[in-house]
Amino acid sequence: MPLENHEKARLLLDRSLVEGISPEDRLWLDAHVGQCAECARYGDLSARAVRALDWFALELDPAAALRVESVVRSRAEGMRSAESRAKSLWIGTAVAIFLTLAGSVVTWRPVALLASQWNLPSRVSQIVFVAFWLLPSLLLALLPLFRRKLLGEDSDSHGQTV
Amino acid sequence: MVAVVTAFSRMAEPESQCIARALRRRDSEFIGRMVSRYHYRLLRYLVYWTSRREQAEDLVQETWLRVLERAGQYNGRLRFEPWLFSIARNLAIDYLRKQQTATHRMCREDEAGLNLAATDFESPFFAAARSEDAKRIAAALGALEPIYREALLLRFQEELSLAEIAQVAGAPISTVSSRIHRGLSMLEASLGGGDDAA
Repeated sequence: MPLENHEKARLLLDRSLVEGISPEDRLWLDAHVGQCAECARYGDLSARAVRALDWFALELDPAAALRVESVVRSRAEGMRSAESRAKSLWIGTAVAIFLTLAGSVVTWRPVALLASQWNLPSRVSQIVFVAFWLLPSLLLALLPLFRRKLLGEDSDSHGQTV
Repeated sequence: MVAVVTAFSRMAEPESQCIARALRRRDSEFIGRMVSRYHYRLLRYLVYWTSRREQAEDLVQETWLRVLERAGQYNGRLRFEPWLFSIARNLAIDYLRKQQTATHRMCREDEAGLNLAATDFESPFFAAARSEDAKRIAAALGALEPIYREALLLRFQEELSLAEIAQVAGAPISTVSSRIHRGLSMLEASLGGGDDAA
């Protein structure tokens, strides 16, 4: 039998285990291995090497598995509630900003009327309105978003630590 | 009726999509079931990487915590296993790098006369080997570099395709294929040597 046939058979045996081979190659390989004891032994050795991987079985420690599960579950719950809090905070802030702006529009009319009765220049009344009404309201609306930074709290302190 | 349709559509949904949705929603019940379902496979994969049982157990937990952190990156279009193993792989490589750095530092301290005790551990491959044949394979597995062990495990035990292994390993398919061939030939050599000896 030509030497290249044995080389081809070994190549196909390897490929059949790793990538898979075409039906034509399979037919050729089966025919060759049926006739060649050396290549049949090589094929058997390859199959044994793959089967050898199966003997390696770890004994599971159920307590360790449960511990991991519990840690991961509690982290997932922590993240879920943190995300839910963050979502509520953003919605609350958006509503507060909307109410501030809408309230400012409504409040501006009586303020402007009062300013005209007191003969105040409109520029002054606008500055006073922004400084003593709009800006404080906006700062109060945004305050919850920066509460943690202002209080120096660690963002990882709510179930976020590893 | 709506509940029935919803339940039916969920049944028809591919599993990877369910997993992606559960991860994004932080569904602790579902995630808990997944942790339990993949625990053995993840532990085995990490043991193949680190050769140390205790560290592998710690890395299993870290892997799941990393999965939760990166839940948004998994869209469910591909299978979950390659994504999970790629996260575990990165953590295992980080661990091995830190360990190498620590070993170098210990060697330098040893040279400086601090006389630190050498780390002693039993390979999990030997711990699992009960017969002489198994011990021979354990030695062969232990001697293999982690990248070859990983390739063999993912191909023959996890039954991932070459493309999926390439995704996990971040390497071209041809590289993955040659790693598997090389790992197999090393194992074959150890088995063949044993036969010859017998």
